Amino acid sequence: MTQSKDSQPSEYHVASFVAYPILAQLDEVKQAITDIEGAEIHVTSEEGKIVFTMEGSSYRDIGTKMDIIRVHKGIINLSPVYHQILDESTDNDAIQQEPKNILKELEKNKT
Amino acid sequence: MKKFNLAVIASLLVLAVSPMMYSLNANATDKETVNSVATLRDATPIDVQKEPNIIPKVINKDIKQGRNYPMQPPVIPHTTRSYEVNKNNNKCMSCHSRHRTEKTQAPMISVTHYMDRDGNFLAEMSPRRYFCNQCHVTQLDAEPLVENTFTDMHSLMKAKTQSKEH
Amino acid sequence: MTINRREFIKANAIAAAAAVAGVSVPAVASNLITSSDITKLKWDKAPCRFCGTGCSVNVGVMDGKVVATHGDIKSPVNKGLNCVKGYFLSKIMYGKDRLTTPLLRMTNGKYDKEGEFTPVSWDQAFNVMAEKAKDALKKDGPEALGMFGSGQWTVQEGYAAVKLMKAGFRTNNIDPNARHCMASAVGGFMRTFGIDEPMGCYDDLEAADAFVLWGSNMAEMHPILWTRLTDRRLSAPHVKVAVLSTFEHRSFDLADNGMIFTPQTDLAILNYIANYIIQTGRVNKDFVSKHTNFRLGETDIGYGLRPEHPLEQAAKNNGKTAGSSTPIDFDEYAKFVSTYTVESVSKLSGVPEHKLEALAELYADPKIKVTSFWTMGFNQHTRGVWANNLVYNIHLLTGKISTPGNSPFSLTGQPSACGTAREVGTFSHRLPADMVVKNPKHRAIAEKIWDLPEGTIPPKPGYHAVLQNRMLKDGKLNFYWVQCNNNMQAAANTNEEVYPGYRNPKNFIVVSDPYPTVTAQAADLILPTAMWVEKEGVYGNAERRTQSWYQMVEAPEGAKSDLWQLVEFSKRFNVEDVWPEELIAKKPEVRGKTLFDVLYKDSSVGKFSLDEVPEDRLNHDARDFGFYIQKGLFEEYATFGRGHAHDLAPYDRYHKERGLRWPVVNGVETKWRFKEGSDPYVKPGSGWDFYGKPDGRAIIFALPYEPPAESPDEEYDLWLSTGRVLEHWHSGSMTQRVPELYKAMPDALVYMHPDDAKKRNMRRGDLVKLISRRGEVQTRVETRGRNKPPIGLVYMPWFDASRLVNKVTLDATDPLSKQTDFKKCAIKIVKV
Repeated sequence: MTQSKDSQPSEYHVASFVAYPILAQLDEVKQAITDIEGAEIHVTSEEGKIVFTMEGSSYRDIGTKMDIIRVHKGIINLSPVYHQILDESTDNDAIQQEPKNILKELEKNKT
Repeated sequence: MKKFNLAVIASLLVLAVSPMMYSLNANATDKETVNSVATLRDATPIDVQKEPNIIPKVINKDIKQGRNYPMQPPVIPHTTRSYEVNKNNNKCMSCHSRHRTEKTQAPMISVTHYMDRDGNFLAEMSPRRYFCNQCHVTQLDAEPLVENTFTDMHSLMKAKTQSKEH
Repeated sequence: MTINRREFIKANAIAAAAAVAGVSVPAVASNLITSSDITKLKWDKAPCRFCGTGCSVNVGVMDGKVVATHGDIKSPVNKGLNCVKGYFLSKIMYGKDRLTTPLLRMTNGKYDKEGEFTPVSWDQAFNVMAEKAKDALKKDGPEALGMFGSGQWTVQEGYAAVKLMKAGFRTNNIDPNARHCMASAVGGFMRTFGIDEPMGCYDDLEAADAFVLWGSNMAEMHPILWTRLTDRRLSAPHVKVAVLSTFEHRSFDLADNGMIFTPQTDLAILNYIANYIIQTGRVNKDFVSKHTNFRLGETDIGYGLRPEHPLEQAAKNNGKTAGSSTPIDFDEYAKFVSTYTVESVSKLSGVPEHKLEALAELYADPKIKVTSFWTMGFNQHTRGVWANNLVYNIHLLTGKISTPGNSPFSLTGQPSACGTAREVGTFSHRLPADMVVKNPKHRAIAEKIWDLPEGTIPPKPGYHAVLQNRMLKDGKLNFYWVQCNNNMQAAANTNEEVYPGYRNPKNFIVVSDPYPTVTAQAADLILPTAMWVEKEGVYGNAERRTQSWYQMVEAPEGAKSDLWQLVEFSKRFNVEDVWPEELIAKKPEVRGKTLFDVLYKDSSVGKFSLDEVPEDRLNHDARDFGFYIQKGLFEEYATFGRGHAHDLAPYDRYHKERGLRWPVVNGVETKWRFKEGSDPYVKPGSGWDFYGKPDGRAIIFALPYEPPAESPDEEYDLWLSTGRVLEHWHSGSMTQRVPELYKAMPDALVYMHPDDAKKRNMRRGDLVKLISRRGEVQTRVETRGRNKPPIGLVYMPWFDASRLVNKVTLDATDPLSKQTDFKKCAIKIVKV
């Protein structure tokens, strides 16, 4: 009945999370996150809260990846905060012409 | 000078409803919509009623409609007639739950739906998200009465980028 | 290439998670969102524009436009959720037909009641308004002036309006549309407790073992509270949900005990529960003896119709004594309710006996913490105050009150029905902080705070909402200003009362609105109005939570806030224009001054300078008047309640908080009132203290079942109930302009039982006419869908400007609260 758009590569998903690990296992949890393809840690608070994003190509992709963290033994709690989907097959006209200064700025800030 | 007709007497009103003056449908250059009156009533006087249109059909094409901004709940692109969502049964989840999407090819619910009120991550959808119909609605095949000029952030950014280049 | 767009949404995702974690947003994300000209996006908090739940939303602004909104994860009310209306807040200000210039009915360049709407300047508009107001004052005095306001006004707007009308123009003819909404709830609180507004708070939702919905369809009308109730029910399997209504609706989807009752018999069911509690020996005797009194109320009080109506002629006690009562004891009360047996009430109400018993047991069982919710089913009721009194009875008999989960909870419809209409007191009989105009001490307090001479405020209550329409029709109310509501669509019996009233040649009608509504269509002058985050304001929700927001975007050029309009208009009047010489003589220094000077600029309202308005904030109103007017109005208003159990925090604090529940004492909010330990106003050692009453005791009222004003008969053979829908806010003037919401629910249909349709040879989709003794409306038949009425009753919502169901409804009111009963009248339906 419902035609799948779920697995089409034209989708870009980004979800953001806050992970609360057992402090003693902070490094382990961070490593587990970094090991996942498309996952990126952006900041870790003094209390050890980890803010990270997960990028993927489908709902299921994001779901499978987040399960790895959710069941990790070093995790006290995982909060999914945000989930946005970009359907690039229809929305791809958004900003075709990139302003170069922004890209540069992004690069600069990453390093 | 622009004129704004609002006849109180029915007979006068019939004459006054010229399509030019009260054209309400999406027409970007139609200035007459601005500061005209009774736009949701098709300029019908209060003591008169225009014949109600027939009940529109639910759009059932299964084509996803884009969102205007992040966190906007997607509208439902198919009919939900006789879908039960009550304390014993949630028909929506029989296609959209994580376990079912592989078979049904329907989009899975957003990961945010697993978070409970206190920010904990649950294995199943949070019960506070149980009644899908509080946020997700079907769309009927009805033409809006008044155009909406909301512009999403990506269109704004795109416009700015282009104007910078010119 | 779309990498840039991906980065942008990723940056937003990071920022959202960082906010939840309470850490600063990493530079890579914050630079992209806040620094670049192209991508700069500013987020700020605001309460939702719609219902009384009072959700907080985050509003995203780019280039001076709202581009996104979502539920505020930091808000204790909604914790990141919105309902479908709330999620589409971004679009409500952008209907293409926003009004941008005043429109005056004119012929040949002059005002003419029968003329065509013509654009005029604000200056011209105020000139004509001032002339009309002064004419009316000169001819018939202050009582010829009136204003109809709103529970959607900000607190400051409502307060400015009260001051202008009651002190400036010296008329009490100001009432809010909240009169249609929760006047009966106010009446119930004042009568039982002597102080307005709920004792409990939304935290009850996570603490109760049972919920009872009395004529409240929370699933559609308070969706976010419904998500909390659903969460509780599904997370804790022992929790039970009982739903009572005159027809089946979406809230029944979660009901363990769903009950359809014959309209008006809720009064009998409430008395049956009291009887059951007594008969089964479950009265909490300790609580009852220490904290309650019993009284027998007056009966046969009429139906609030015009005095010449046969029902009013027949009623014995529809005059000033309607609200009176005499003391009785427990035994007399027990005897009074003893006739409400399960057999008799089941027969009267149509609810099976076992369902009534299961319901009564939720209240009677001392181990069950029970929360009752009600809204329009009780309040829009010709015995609405009684219904409120009766539900308090069963909570008081069992002592299930003011503790977590034990809560008789009156929900409100509008975002600031509590904050503005009730707390500010924008009613025809009220003053701020629960005070009333007929009490000389209360008037003296107000005159002192306002620094005005004794005798400024008139003692006689003014025209309430329904009376205003009757007085317009009768030509007694001649200058009338409507702000922030759509009463030509919302009021009952528009055909016979409201429309003829607005179009009466003796009257001049001003309507302020962002959009051209049905009410605007009936006006003589329309004023284009700024809305929501186009201005700064404060709202107060149903759990006593006061929330503020900043102006975030500019209004369309030409549109001005209700506050600006009220205050700017006051400049057109010298004190000599409105006050008699003997009043001026008591305070000669006001001579030659304008109402703007006396009421606002030179009073304590004007004492906060523009320096206090944050530099990076818009605030058109403050900058235009030259002082921080919103803060001044709020602080002066707060003076009324501080130290009197209505304490508000300092204004600036609300800009930092997701709201605080009053009374806020020593900086701390109050969750449960009247209970020692959680309410600082309770006398130590008392346990509970209902301090609204002089002896600290709440009242249990003996009140009977009395029949409704109109019931179906042979000719008009169906009950009509009206109400709201999930997708639209009230009359739909905002939400019908949002394409997604319009397409979700474009038209108001009449919901009928399939057998009722069949009997009349009708099918789904047929064009039909609903006819009452007062008027008719056409629509189409719906026999399936979310509402399932029983045989003999139909339901039609009122959001649809093109199908005005209120041409049909009856303007009978509760004689005590003056609130209209929109839930029951008699109609017939014929095919067109």
